[in-house]
Amino acid sequence: MRTTLHLQDADGFYEELLDAHHGLTQEQSQLFNARLILLLANQVGDARVLQQCLAAARTEQSVS
Amino acid sequence: MSSSQTLAPARAYQATAFTNDYAFSKGGYTLPVYPFVAPAELVTGTVLRHPVVIVGAGITGLTLACALARLGVKAVLLDEDNSVGVKGASSRGICYTQKSLEIFQRLGIYERIAAKGVQWSVGRTFAGHDEVYAFDLRQQSSFQLSEQPPFINIQQFYIEGFLVERIQELGGIDLRWSSRVTDFEQHDGFGTLTVDTPEGSYRIEADTVIDASGSHTPFHEWCGATKQARRGDDRWCIADVRFSNLPPTERHTWIEAPFNDNRAVWQHLMADDVWRIDYQMEPDADPALVSSETEVRKRLHRQFGPDVECEIVWVGPYAYRSQCLDNLHLGGVFFMGDTAKIVSPFGARGGNTGVADADNLAWKLAAVLCGRAGPALLDSYNLERHEAAQQNVLVTNRTARFLRPADGMERVFRTAVIGLARQYPFARQLVNTGRMAVANPYTHSSVCEKSGGLSVQNVQFRWQDASMGCVNDLIQWANGRLLLLVFGDQSAQARHRLASLSSQAPVVCVQVLGADARTQSLETVRDPQGHLQGACHVFGHAWALVRPDAYLAATGEAVDAALVKAIEHALAIA
Repeated sequence: MRTTLHLQDADGFYEELLDAHHGLTQEQSQLFNARLILLLANQVGDARVLQQCLAAARTEQSVS
Repeated sequence: MSSSQTLAPARAYQATAFTNDYAFSKGGYTLPVYPFVAPAELVTGTVLRHPVVIVGAGITGLTLACALARLGVKAVLLDEDNSVGVKGASSRGICYTQKSLEIFQRLGIYERIAAKGVQWSVGRTFAGHDEVYAFDLRQQSSFQLSEQPPFINIQQFYIEGFLVERIQELGGIDLRWSSRVTDFEQHDGFGTLTVDTPEGSYRIEADTVIDASGSHTPFHEWCGATKQARRGDDRWCIADVRFSNLPPTERHTWIEAPFNDNRAVWQHLMADDVWRIDYQMEPDADPALVSSETEVRKRLHRQFGPDVECEIVWVGPYAYRSQCLDNLHLGGVFFMGDTAKIVSPFGARGGNTGVADADNLAWKLAAVLCGRAGPALLDSYNLERHEAAQQNVLVTNRTARFLRPADGMERVFRTAVIGLARQYPFARQLVNTGRMAVANPYTHSSVCEKSGGLSVQNVQFRWQDASMGCVNDLIQWANGRLLLLVFGDQSAQARHRLASLSSQAPVVCVQVLGADARTQSLETVRDPQGHLQGACHVFGHAWALVRPDAYLAATGEAVDAALVKAIEHALAIA
């Protein structure tokens, strides 16, 4: 799993991500996120990297 | 009366009647009735010891008995019923895989199954009114080379009936109907079973007991078997029906069927023009309510239109569970079929893996009992079939989770998958309406090398006289011994080694050559297109050690000490 920056335009992507949720209900946002995760996961492909991403995403939750 | 008549469906379907458990129709089939014959134990009152006693004459127990009969091993087969099918109902398995069909070909009943059953290879999956994806197994190279098709659909009791008749033809199996096992005790080196019959009970001793008695087996408790189990709230209701006008011979699955309140529906053809329509119900739905004839007809009309004319052959509401025994071999008892593991029906991984369990143990029992292999060979049954059982539980649980997602995020992700699948090919692979059963590979068997553990398809080759043969012919010829295929020219030294191997070990050696290569001093077959080589997963100069269950024990290149070791290893005689 990559932990250093790989995004070409970090601030730009972050803004686009937030904008994409604009005007969506809670339910629509959830579905959007699920679709996005599946699309991105297929870009990654590598099973080990995906497992590490799942684990990394979980860790933040248990800490907070 | 000929056998085909015995198993033919009744012309006039019987009136539907409620029973207290599973079905409201008795099936409309005239099933064979097998007479009870009092065995020697009951007549003379003496307790006799048998090398092999099989409990349960379902598809698994019958496959085992038939395979043993073919290998010349005597066995007693006990069944509490006097017919095939569950108490005369027509449900249970309908879909048989290429691997099962290859096994049935070896047992000598494939032709009857092919004549009676329905072949299919096209599957379509729908969500709402849209087709999400479709497949044609005939287009997939992995299925093309076998003598047997990817799948045949047929009511399970037909296969059971064919097996019974084949067993009777082969002889050597003592089939005891109306014989219910009510007690079992394991002693040092043998077990004692108590058997209840219409003419009283008796006791019988067995060196080896095979429990193939199904999901309600009492042997788990008698043997102290431990297991992993899981049960959900998903409920389904099967309707087996005959239509006046026929839908296509394809497997159709709906993840969200508009005509079933957006729940899943399965549609599959079987023999006798009977269709199985399987409807997903509300979680924890009341089985009595959903299986009433009025409700079933309502569902059929919603799906096929108000004018559809159909006869209801059988209805069965069901819930499924998954269960896997921790060890399939306890003391002198082997577990197979539903006593080894229970899976949801998605992917046809129940009956087909029971057939594979039976085929796995049969040749091993025969080899050990005939002194061709060491007793440790029997330990590999658990290693190989437990791996398969766990894999099948894992795969079917994943399907069940896709079909009955938990409320909340699981459902959100499923909606996301279905939506993406309409647009993008990658997401179609995430749509899981059942992953069809395969010949499970063995990756940590005690008797397979790392190079082995894979199934060999029943592909064709040419005999020396240019007539066609298939892998099963060679296995048949090896008759319970290992089959050693050596590909390509062999040096004089290698030929000498192979000749001495054939004379000293229970191995039948066959040289496989291309179309024009010169014959050497070995039994030879021709593989002009390389199908046999492909089926054995080897390339160029190589050897493949094929077991009687058409699994590779090992493969290698040189005819040297590694081959000798692989043979000893495969038979646990090292």
